Amino acid sequence: MSVWADLSIALILAGLTAYLLFGGADFGAGLWHLFGRERRLIEHAMGPVWEANHVWLIFVMVLTWTAFPPVFADIAGAYWVPLSIASLGIVARGSALAFRKVVPEKYAVTFALSSLATPFCLGAVAGAVALGRRSWLSLPALYVGVLTVGLCVYLAAVFLTWDAHREGDATRFRAYALRAGCAVGLLALPGAALTGVHSPLIGVSALAGVASLVLLWRRNYLAVRVTAALATAAVLWGAAAKADLPLASSAAPDAVLRLVLTVIAIGGLLLVPSLTWLYVLFQRQDPGRTQGTGA
Amino acid sequence: MSLASSTSEILAARTQMAMTLGFHIVLAAIGIGLPALTLLAEWRGHRTGDPVYRELARRWAKATGVLFAVGAVSGTVLSFEMGTLWPHFMAKFGQVFGAAFAMEGIAFFIEAIFIGIYLYGWDRLSSRAHLLTGIPIVVGGIASAFFVVTVNSWMNQPRGFRIDAHGNVTDVRPLAAMFNPATPPEAVHLILASFMVCGFTVASVYAVALLRGKRDAYHRRAFAIPFTFAAVTAPIQVIVGDWATRFVADNQPVKFAAMEGIERTQNGVPFRFGFLEIPNGLSLLLKFDPNARLRGLDSWPADLEPPKNVPHYAFDIMVTIGTGLVLLGAWALLSWWCRRDLPRSRWFLRAAALAGIGAVIAMEAGWTTTEVGRQPWIVYGVMRVDQAVNPGSGLTVGLYIVLVVYALLAAVTVTVLRRIARAPETAVGVATGGATDPDPGTGSGMDTETDPGPGAGAETETDTGPGAGAEADSADGREEARR
Repeated sequence: MSVWADLSIALILAGLTAYLLFGGADFGAGLWHLFGRERRLIEHAMGPVWEANHVWLIFVMVLTWTAFPPVFADIAGAYWVPLSIASLGIVARGSALAFRKVVPEKYAVTFALSSLATPFCLGAVAGAVALGRRSWLSLPALYVGVLTVGLCVYLAAVFLTWDAHREGDATRFRAYALRAGCAVGLLALPGAALTGVHSPLIGVSALAGVASLVLLWRRNYLAVRVTAALATAAVLWGAAAKADLPLASSAAPDAVLRLVLTVIAIGGLLLVPSLTWLYVLFQRQDPGRTQGTGA
Repeated sequence: MSLASSTSEILAARTQMAMTLGFHIVLAAIGIGLPALTLLAEWRGHRTGDPVYRELARRWAKATGVLFAVGAVSGTVLSFEMGTLWPHFMAKFGQVFGAAFAMEGIAFFIEAIFIGIYLYGWDRLSSRAHLLTGIPIVVGGIASAFFVVTVNSWMNQPRGFRIDAHGNVTDVRPLAAMFNPATPPEAVHLILASFMVCGFTVASVYAVALLRGKRDAYHRRAFAIPFTFAAVTAPIQVIVGDWATRFVADNQPVKFAAMEGIERTQNGVPFRFGFLEIPNGLSLLLKFDPNARLRGLDSWPADLEPPKNVPHYAFDIMVTIGTGLVLLGAWALLSWWCRRDLPRSRWFLRAAALAGIGAVIAMEAGWTTTEVGRQPWIVYGVMRVDQAVNPGSGLTVGLYIVLVVYALLAAVTVTVLRRIARAPETAVGVATGGATDPDPGTGSGMDTETDPGPGAGAETETDTGPGAGAEADSADGREEARR
């Protein structure tokens, strides 16, 4: 396999990681939203960034179908049912969030249910593919789906704790994050047995998870974002290492890969500063607290 | 390659793709045009300090937020469907046109980032910086439209690859695929169509309000800005449409024959339009020779020709509505030229109210013409639709579910947009100093006069003082508080 194909794989994995971390936190926030206690904070934190968070999925799909077209086609064709459910979930979710900005009293249940269904289906497909192309309704695949939802919920709680802290009071989200962390840790315990993944990354994930709990306990809300992200990403990397896809035989010609990677490199020069600005701009203290989400 | 799918399953896949794309195309069109209109209003507000423009910009920004979100997620569905519905198409040709989607992805990413900054940055950025953050949204929107259309034009004029003796794709040249001969006419035609759809639909919302007697400065400008934008685009679109049609006649003669309803190859083909028939008209129009010979559908094998009625009627509908929109724009421009005002007739406003729906129908009809006219090919002359479809069963059930979800989505989107457009009297009243505009001349949105009233500056350019801005903000604040 050429160096261009290797680079493409690395970029796809990086895109998946970004989608799991940013998009995943977004999905998780949708579930915390259902509790109804912190809706204003959640919508406030998600408002400016959720669309950009989900472009990572498009990035991954486009890069996969360009660089490894048969792999994309096989997965999409074989798992069209869960993927269609996930895509309708994405529609329902994004629309509901946008509509809530105008009609704040409605669409909360749609938002929460689609925030649950989408990562579950995507996780089940990822599990089914990584664990040797089994049915997405097989037990290990369903387990990965549930674990994905759990990771999203946990990430969201950790990320939102800092937002809540900045807005004044992090007590509630700190408690949520601690509980979610313990619950997801327990959920992940039988993972190795159920999925047959035996990777040192499991240890990395466990260590980062424990470190996150300690950091949360000590109210170190920024550092915990890093360790929680590592704990989550390590799960994805472990699954990716297990996946056995015919990448070498399905890679597009180098001429195509070179062009696409060049395009992404040039695009990155525009995207990285813009994305950084977006995240930094809205992590500062809000000057107009009375205005905003209207929730 | 498995071809197990029944015709009904293929039809289900085609219907689902057509419906989800037909839905997305309207949102995408408005998503391309509305940020430009919003920026125009914001820029006028920035230059003149006139709170009516600021209120308009804020309102349209809100609508942009909703429409961009629905457009973004409905576009994501299409990315999934490329693989879930047409896996064989993607497996074979993803490498050929993928680069265009990578570019589109980057343009869309830029849009998504800046729409977040723009929509939530009103209070975090200076008004000048805020205005500037809108520009990447407009540029990104037009660029992503361009890149996406290159893929569709490639499906009509596939270039940049060869098929070897084993049926494998080789010698892939992605840039040649992207800049295929159909790209220039298709891309320009679609981008202009997006401007028209956006301009006429936004204007039609306010045409209805004006008909209901809300004739204040806010509603007049809210009508005049998008209407002017669309009316200026419409005549250019006639020229581009002619270019696109001649391109199809030269490069996809079978599609042209279906569009024009030419059944038999003959000399001196008549021009048929509805019940109208002009002898030798089509030969004359196309070749500037009344006796020119044109190929009819009978010159292709029956299984390689598109259905003949759908492209023909769809094309006629598009041309009819397009002509109507040009005439409507000409009426307004003539009136503006003679009296510095939009036409006074209520019939003008009634027509303008219908123009929004008309523009959407015209766009869908144009899309139908090009897509159905390409049948039975998914890649013209290279791969048929039935060779591309997912062989899995249950596509029909999937279609029904998607139909229900999209019907609900469309209904709720319209409800929410109407809620945004419903201008609370207080907000506008405060913004215009409580007075409705007695001077009909300010209706154009392109004039340099401003309305009387303490909120608005007496002259352009001069009043950028904090008073006007603060009033607009407080109006907005009050409106937020009411919700």
